[in-house]
Amino acid sequence: MMDEIPDPSQDPSGSHAAQSLGNTLRWAFELDESPAIAGATFLTREIIPGARDPFDAIAGGTATLRQLEDLKNAYKLLRTTGATAPERSLAARLYAATIAAGIVRHGAMITRQAPAALARAFEELSADPEMPERVRDLGSLAADALGRMKS
Amino acid sequence: MGVGLAMAKLSNPSMTQTNWDLIRDAASGSATARSSLDAVMKRAWPAVYAYIRATGRRSDEATELTQAFICDVLLARRLLEKADQARGRFRTLLIGAVRNYLADVHRRRTAQARAPRAGILPIDASDGGSGALVGEAASGQDSTSPERAFNARYVAGMIRSASERLQRELEADGESDSWEIFRLRVLQMSFQGVAPGYDEIAPRLGLERGQCAAKLLMAKRRFAAILMDELRATMLDPAELRSEVADLLALLTEG
Repeated sequence: MMDEIPDPSQDPSGSHAAQSLGNTLRWAFELDESPAIAGATFLTREIIPGARDPFDAIAGGTATLRQLEDLKNAYKLLRTTGATAPERSLAARLYAATIAAGIVRHGAMITRQAPAALARAFEELSADPEMPERVRDLGSLAADALGRMKS
Repeated sequence: MGVGLAMAKLSNPSMTQTNWDLIRDAASGSATARSSLDAVMKRAWPAVYAYIRATGRRSDEATELTQAFICDVLLARRLLEKADQARGRFRTLLIGAVRNYLADVHRRRTAQARAPRAGILPIDASDGGSGALVGEAASGQDSTSPERAFNARYVAGMIRSASERLQRELEADGESDSWEIFRLRVLQMSFQGVAPGYDEIAPRLGLERGQCAAKLLMAKRRFAAILMDELRATMLDPAELRSEVADLLALLTEG
């Protein structure tokens, strides 16, 4: 298995190799120092390359249903594997926001969570002062839509 | 067996980290001094070779000089014993030693060439006296390229070492799939320029695409922490990490 690690030193004086090494060193240093939002932003960009941040990606209205499902699964795992409590807490709220976006933007349910638990999560999202306004609005709209679906 | 081949065959994971404790131990004559010295040499050899090669010397000559440097400087002169910790960084100690060694070699060869006809001459201040990279000047190489080659190989060795440690740790934790995602998405992408997408990776590992991304984040973070640990271990003052990273980035990316 060790032999499968690409050897980065094959062309040490070549500019491409030096650039790659520099890039690896740079992101390692930055990741080592990153705040809570950095993890969620990284995941978002892995799934939607070019996304500015998680909030834009979820509430912007351009994410496909498939991308929202991918984001939901990524944030779901980050809820438990996040490096810090703030990161895990943010991941939990983003997880709820992706489900809300699925309902509001695509009319689709991308979770098997119980409606009561969802309703509670959307209410909390809509009242969360740490979330940008567009995400809180998404929470409100999703809560309304869920209410209509239940009635 | 050449030193290079011997170095390549050293694969004991416990010997892959260069730090001041290891250096002190290598110079101490303790029971573990030999294995510590081997570990230091394993880290040093590729970077020293890269430096010498980038001065314009042929590969066979560079190999010979690298072996000679290891024997004459690291072993015979016991550079490690003299390693004054106030100098701070092992990388700068090593690169300075190689530079001086090449200047010494050039000085000796020049003296030998002159001796039969002109007798003993004083050292020209513009030549060996300055400790300049004489070999590079003679070969017409860019004077910055040997240092860049040295640093690239030095960082490459550190990245490889950190990758090996990451693999061991993830597999021990039952996170083999995280290692596989990291290997494909980071190492292969960085050094081969191509990487499979999550559409290909996820079904192979029995995961959702989003789960793959989250596992990659976890692996990257762990790798970053290991790599920074390795870098800190080569410095006396951990607070210097930021400036060492900045120096290496500048050296690696300068045109």
